[in-house]
Amino acid sequence: MFRIVFAQELRNLAGARTWWGILGLLAVLIVLAAANGGSRFARMAEGASRLNDDETTLQRGLRDAVARYEAGPQGDPPSASSPGNVGLSLLGHYARLPFPALAALSVGQADVQPGYYRVTAKPAYTFTGVSEIQNPLTQVLGSFDLAFVLVFVLPILIVASSFDLLSREKEAGTLALVAAQGVRLRTLVLAKIVARAAMILPVLLALVLLAGVIVGADLADADTLLQLLTVFAVAAAYAAFWLALAVLVNSLDWRSETNGVVLANAWLVFVVVMPAFVNVAASMLYPAPSRVELTTELREASEAADREAAQARDAYLFDHPELAGAGAPLDEFYLKVLASDAAVEKAIAPILRRFEEQAASRERVVAGLRYASPAIAAQEALNALAATDNARFGDFSRQVQDFHARWRAFFSARIARGERLRATDFDAIPAFEYRSPGYAPSRQAAALPLAFLAGSAALLLAWAAARFRRYPVV
Amino acid sequence: MIAAIARKELTSALRDGRIVWSAAILALMLVAALGSAAQRYAAISVERAAAQQLVDEQFRNQGDKNPHAAAHYGIYAFKPVTPLSFFDTGVNGFTGVSIWLEAHRRNMAEGEPARDATAIARFGELTAAFTLQMLLPLLVILLTFSSFAGEREQGTLRQVLAMGVSPVRLLLGKALGAGAAISLFLGPIFLLGLVALLLAPGGTHWLSHGLLLAGLYAAYAAVFVFLALAVSAGADSSRTALVVLVALWAVSSVALPRIASDAARLATPLPTAIEFQRAVAADLETGIGPKPVDQLVAERREALLRLYKLDSVEQLPINFQGIVLGLQEQAGNAVYDKHFGSLFAALAKQLGTMQAFSTLSPRLAVQLASMELAGTSMAAHRLFADQAEAHRRKLVDTMNEAVVTEKAGVRGGAELWGRVEPFELRPEPLAATLSRLGPSLTVLALWLAAAVVAALLAVRRLRALAS
Repeated sequence: MFRIVFAQELRNLAGARTWWGILGLLAVLIVLAAANGGSRFARMAEGASRLNDDETTLQRGLRDAVARYEAGPQGDPPSASSPGNVGLSLLGHYARLPFPALAALSVGQADVQPGYYRVTAKPAYTFTGVSEIQNPLTQVLGSFDLAFVLVFVLPILIVASSFDLLSREKEAGTLALVAAQGVRLRTLVLAKIVARAAMILPVLLALVLLAGVIVGADLADADTLLQLLTVFAVAAAYAAFWLALAVLVNSLDWRSETNGVVLANAWLVFVVVMPAFVNVAASMLYPAPSRVELTTELREASEAADREAAQARDAYLFDHPELAGAGAPLDEFYLKVLASDAAVEKAIAPILRRFEEQAASRERVVAGLRYASPAIAAQEALNALAATDNARFGDFSRQVQDFHARWRAFFSARIARGERLRATDFDAIPAFEYRSPGYAPSRQAAALPLAFLAGSAALLLAWAAARFRRYPVV
Repeated sequence: MIAAIARKELTSALRDGRIVWSAAILALMLVAALGSAAQRYAAISVERAAAQQLVDEQFRNQGDKNPHAAAHYGIYAFKPVTPLSFFDTGVNGFTGVSIWLEAHRRNMAEGEPARDATAIARFGELTAAFTLQMLLPLLVILLTFSSFAGEREQGTLRQVLAMGVSPVRLLLGKALGAGAAISLFLGPIFLLGLVALLLAPGGTHWLSHGLLLAGLYAAYAAVFVFLALAVSAGADSSRTALVVLVALWAVSSVALPRIASDAARLATPLPTAIEFQRAVAADLETGIGPKPVDQLVAERREALLRLYKLDSVEQLPINFQGIVLGLQEQAGNAVYDKHFGSLFAALAKQLGTMQAFSTLSPRLAVQLASMELAGTSMAAHRLFADQAEAHRRKLVDTMNEAVVTEKAGVRGGAELWGRVEPFELRPEPLAATLSRLGPSLTVLALWLAAAVVAALLAVRRLRALAS
């Protein structure tokens, strides 16, 4: 019996022009969105590949100057051999975050958080505040990426194709006829659900894979393929939620028009209103630490530390006795700079730590709020899978801090020991390489939202099943 | 007749539970949005003012030192928030809140709040502007989608037309009724917002802006009133009317703004921070004036020596180093003017692309105009950046002049530092804001005209019977 009804349902859907219109629209939007995202990240990658060009040229020039002097020492050593001059004045290194190809599927925070930092031997806070040049207006309006199509548009299409799932048949009178033939209501509803799923899910899978191809992902790579399949799983679970909601609304025995209005309202609430409310709740319960306060506190602290520069110098060597070399340090001036920088950093460390702790605990608290709406859960899952969520940028930032310590130690050790840079030293200057956690952790991060979406869908269906028990077919 | 029709519309709207509930929820959201944003505005306002005062004090109390060292010591300019930012936060979440003013460098603003926000923030901030832009059209649609189509289905439309009521009068009456209903629901909130504005510090200066904002959103509502009536009159069923109107709303309010954003980005790519810095550094090194700085310095030296009939600059009654600093600063400023100028020009071009797209989306047109009136647009941010830069130049010039006039052992003290006035953002005159509203207001006027014309055309061929 199920098979017969299911086959009929499929025929009905396939025969309806609006149905193909909906699928066609989804295809067009997904292709456009993927192409759009791809172009954005392609441009970013192209610029990023040239980041260190200037520094490499500069470094080579300095190395050559030193090598020439070493080959035939004449006159004073070149300024290129001064670790203070090179490390504290001239050189910097661009540490960049490479984005996987699938990042183009969801812009996430990639247009707000820095994708690279210019690391110098100065305290970290001097270079972490710099951002990429963006038009804030484009950031406010948002981007038309795959995540947008899945989170905002897909529900509308699902609702449009299933808001009158059962109510249409009841109003037309065919429900009574079908029931009279001995088809159980449960069988009919199940057939309708499965038919819709059978028509949407394969198309959605194909489109997600196509989107992956468009943004340049290597589908032959098992890890990338698995990631794309996880993206599809999130989209499918999200679609399942909306389908389940439509079924539930149908089970309440209202007119088709009312169903449409109720589901449209549900879309409004879950996708537009709830996230905005969650925002307000987050910023009231757990306001972001103030950058204005941070700026003025850093200023005051570095102020005070600067004034004690002379004492700071002795204190520095006291803290790092291993760096006190035999004989007078060559870079007297740079040693003072190092010492005052160290004093400033010591003074501001508690301020920065407090700021970061506040930001981190805020992120944890707000993370729980993502379950207030399936739209938020889906968006966050997609951001995580695309490696454009705050967690990824946080990890990048931490790795940069570690690298900064290594970079600075390379030069400060030589400054404090009074050594000159040799040509071989230039070859040993550290370079940043981002250690990517790979896709696996992001799949774990997306697991909970995915379970939430699927679980909610199951709950709604169970509720609907209970209502259908008392559903009048005439 | 029109008034009678309007009264009937209003009465039936007030009796419809769905409408009253929806209006109540909208009103509640507006109050919540206004309340939370007003509280945030008050807190931010106080914080920024205090921070500005603090850095001004730090500058005054920096102790005795060479004036040029003081120019390097520099100062921060904090961006104040305008009172109407509690209505529409505009781009404030994504623009820097402070600019570091120092000698020889023009810095960009830092500390964008978005860096510390969560990804959920990208769904949209709950402000009154967001609520009105997104939800007010839906309330209008709810009020009017069955205005003609529903009456046709019920049979009452046939009776009204049979009585000889002109379809145009019917249209105007229904439009007036819808307008009256909306005014009734939102009027109290508008007054509440007005009171909040007047109570906010500096709020009275923005009263005219607030009233213009009210007019803007009234026009926005009017567009949807006539559009919905047009669709309701032309559609063959109220269900079709609802679907069409909601689809129109979804495309214009949700999808088009994003498409416009990406189109603007693709049409006019901005330089990356690296490219910008590289270009500035290159120009600073080679100079962009007709004569290189060294030549200008040499010429000035010759001129002064000739004027005072001396042999060397040390004999001059003034400190020549100050003049050199001044000339170098001028050369640098010219480079920054060139590059920041072209960056702002690129941003303006992107805005132009978005305004072009706003012809397809009344929401986008209203969004852009709303930001301008609330003082939270890119132009407002540019105002802050330009005034901060002017302040920086004045500070550096004051310091360099001090170097010029004080001869031996140049040292400045609290008296010199006090000569630099604290940074205060001067709001622009209303006329300047209005001049930028041209494109958005034109688009909105066109939409209103088109909606009215569409409605008139639709009622002219009004079908009394449901098919």
